[in-house]
Amino acid sequence: MSIAIRRRVQLAVLLGPVSLFLAVFFLGPLAIMMVTSFLAPGLYGGVEWTFYPHNFGRILGFADPMFEDFDPVYIAIFIRSVKIAALTVLAALIVCYPAAFCIARLSERWKNFCLFLITLPFFTSLIVRLFVWVLILRQTGLVNEMLLSTGMIARPLDLIYTDGAIILGMVYVFIPFMFMPVYGSVEKLDWTLVRASLDLGAGPIRTFWRIILPLTAPGIVGGAIIVFIPALGNFVVPAILGGAKVMMLGNLIEQQFLAARNWPFGSALAMMVMSVMLLLLLVYVFVSSRRGADAALNR
Amino acid sequence: MQDSIVRLEGASKAFATPEGGSVTALDAIDLQVRRNEFLTLLGPSGCGKTTLLQAISGFVELDGGRILIDGEDMTDRPPYRRPVNTVFQNYALFPHMTVGENTAYALEVAGVAKAKRREQVAAALKMVGLAGMEGRRPRQLSGGQQQRVALARAIIARPKLLLLDEPLSALDKNLRQAMQIELKTLQHELGISFIFVTHDQQEALTMSDRVAVLSGGRIQQLDTPRAIYDHPVNSFVATFIGASNLFDGRIDGDRLMTGDGTEIRHRRAPSTASGAATALIRPEQFFLAGEGEPFPTLDVDLEAIVFVGSTFELFGRTSAGKKVIAEIPAGRRSLIGDIERTRRARLAYDPAAVHLIHACAEA
Amino acid sequence: MKIAQSLFRGSLVAYTGLFFAFIYIPLVVIAVYSFNSNPVNMMTWTGFTTEWYAQVLGFKTTVSENALYIESTGQLLQAVWNSLVIATSTTLIATVFGTAIAIGLYRFDFLGQRFYRVIMFMPMLMPDIVLGIALLIFFVNSGIHLGLMTIIIGQCTFLISYVFIVVSARLAGMDRTLENASADLGADEWTTFRRVVLPQLLPGIVGGALLAFIISMDDLVITYFIAGVDVTTLPMFIFAMLRRGIKPEINAIAVMMLTFSFVVASLGLYLRSRQK
Repeated sequence: MSIAIRRRVQLAVLLGPVSLFLAVFFLGPLAIMMVTSFLAPGLYGGVEWTFYPHNFGRILGFADPMFEDFDPVYIAIFIRSVKIAALTVLAALIVCYPAAFCIARLSERWKNFCLFLITLPFFTSLIVRLFVWVLILRQTGLVNEMLLSTGMIARPLDLIYTDGAIILGMVYVFIPFMFMPVYGSVEKLDWTLVRASLDLGAGPIRTFWRIILPLTAPGIVGGAIIVFIPALGNFVVPAILGGAKVMMLGNLIEQQFLAARNWPFGSALAMMVMSVMLLLLLVYVFVSSRRGADAALNR
Repeated sequence: MQDSIVRLEGASKAFATPEGGSVTALDAIDLQVRRNEFLTLLGPSGCGKTTLLQAISGFVELDGGRILIDGEDMTDRPPYRRPVNTVFQNYALFPHMTVGENTAYALEVAGVAKAKRREQVAAALKMVGLAGMEGRRPRQLSGGQQQRVALARAIIARPKLLLLDEPLSALDKNLRQAMQIELKTLQHELGISFIFVTHDQQEALTMSDRVAVLSGGRIQQLDTPRAIYDHPVNSFVATFIGASNLFDGRIDGDRLMTGDGTEIRHRRAPSTASGAATALIRPEQFFLAGEGEPFPTLDVDLEAIVFVGSTFELFGRTSAGKKVIAEIPAGRRSLIGDIERTRRARLAYDPAAVHLIHACAEA
Repeated sequence: MKIAQSLFRGSLVAYTGLFFAFIYIPLVVIAVYSFNSNPVNMMTWTGFTTEWYAQVLGFKTTVSENALYIESTGQLLQAVWNSLVIATSTTLIATVFGTAIAIGLYRFDFLGQRFYRVIMFMPMLMPDIVLGIALLIFFVNSGIHLGLMTIIIGQCTFLISYVFIVVSARLAGMDRTLENASADLGADEWTTFRRVVLPQLLPGIVGGALLAFIISMDDLVITYFIAGVDVTTLPMFIFAMLRRGIKPEINAIAVMMLTFSFVVASLGLYLRSRQK
């Protein structure tokens, strides 16, 4: 057998089965979901196999032939989800960025220990970590109990079931996602450049804006994207910490599938979430390909 | 014919560049390596020397030409079926194996029995001065020790030819010099040919039986170190090896006249009484002219006088503006005092030491 | 200037202290309060008890004599068992597939390789709810009965990505000249793979497998959509309990899970650090 043919066989054996698996069980479902988003919902659940583009119009608030008149409730939920996800990114960055600088300057041993402490919660149950915040934030939770017993407040505060609770919960579970890329950039930062900037007469604040921030921007952008994507379509955190009051895209989609049984509309919503993700990914690939393309993907 | 261990016939290789062009790494190279020879491939980076080495070891497939090792055609053989072993530039020791396991690897994959393997490993490690280090891990060793393990690993299966890809470049200067001598000794003990790749001309001159100077995918000159230093065939070789003063001009009898009117005397090339040529004078061939100097001289204005210990280096220009470097032994301080004051020097040279490079020899 | 600098340093250290407090104090709090005997108001300390742990584990105690929870202990154990079965199967499949793809993309150059690499990142980045409903529509339309099988298939789609990325990172850090050295010393391709590539790759494969196992054990959203009516996993069980109302037993389960995963993760990281 010639070398070229042997290589081809090896490649087919390595990539064939898994490509087939992913084509059928990953790309296949996404394609069917896309098709479904253009179908009409049956009156009692199920799907009518007719072309029906109104699901997307309905998200934007336009009237559709079946359900309602103009109603911006869905676009409002979409905007609210984007807002909460963006605030989560911002909060996570504020939490992680300064800590990354402190940890990056520790000795090797302490550095590794700190990184271990930060990644450790990632290995524990997500739902348990959210449950903890229920115990802390709810009406009879730790914070209210403590404030009541010290007499600082007379009535328990509404802490849980708010936007703030959702953002807090998401920041808590996404800390490693934000910290690791940011830390990666901060640790690589060449401090002689900072010294050079100070030496050339720039003050600490100007040095931060002109040198430190641009040099750590790749990590910030990377962290922002991998926090924003799961935050946008999140359904567990709002379900546990948002109660019934706060509706996000994730809950809306779940509702369309398991309660309202309007699969086409749910699919259309999911398509929106997916396109935001693809858009962000494209931006990231585009931006990173302009400075050393492969480094980002091959990591 | 049988006294050559390796024969390359018209070996060619071009690489595609990312921009869509192609770069010639090997340009129809013919080369014969003799048995028990220490041959060095010397050249600047990108000259094709590493490609040539990899073509012999089998990691680069040739576009054209043949490679014969000990009379057998190896052109289409994969690396693991060639009787050749390599000492890699970064040593390439397997980090998950001990020194002993690393050293035994070639015997192990060849199916040599364990007891015999152990015996040979001990012998090979002893040979490179690492007796008893079998149990260590590569990362516990110093750079020099890792270098020795890589050597032991490459020679244990008694290859017909050992290839060394800039193996000393990562070592510091003292260690490098010690290893140069050791390598030479080892080659004598083993009685096999070494092909050594380097970009360090000093290293090439000290160790080799013959040196092949490469540039642009071609062998510019293949000869003994002394021949290459004293009689370079073209100005590339002359400038790449050692410092040199080159004077381009036309030959007129026993003198060479440059375009700017400088006259260089010589005693060579009676056959080519005229024609374009370049005269080479090495800096150490100049000396300061005395009163009534019998040898031909060259007057220069000095720009810098640098003390480097055993010699003074003089950097100057002729009246026509041509740069000249000369090396004067530091023993005669009084003469230096004179020229330091006047900033002028009259440099003398022996016409017999002037080497002529004829224009037709230029690449 | 000096004072400002040390003030800045000090506040940075303090901030980092708060950062870790934010991560760990909540976990410590529930660990402590899981021993609180107050059955109604879990955050008002009334005394020490191991009652809730005993109930979760199905022991009869003075309080739970009427054995209200025995039934749910059975369900809990069933959920744990399901999760273990799913995680073990998905880990096996995803590790083999993910490693194969990583090696294939590392070793061979072919048309569309970069595209393939980008595609491999998609399942991991895809929001889980999107993948969950896509799989649900797919399985229902193709008439496949929802159950253990669909969960295993569904989780594998994105776990392959995780293994691929971990193994690829390991491959990218590998010194390719080692393979050349092995070939140079007379080892054919298979021997080189077995003796040189695989041993160095092993930590990456083990790390990828561990990650896949943990993520599989923890997956709620995708599993939630494609589990059907018969199968409940551990995260689904707790999620359902939480939706019904918060009881001290959940606290005990949560602390046991925390302890378990901390021990496993610490062990894993300890082993990895020793290997280096």
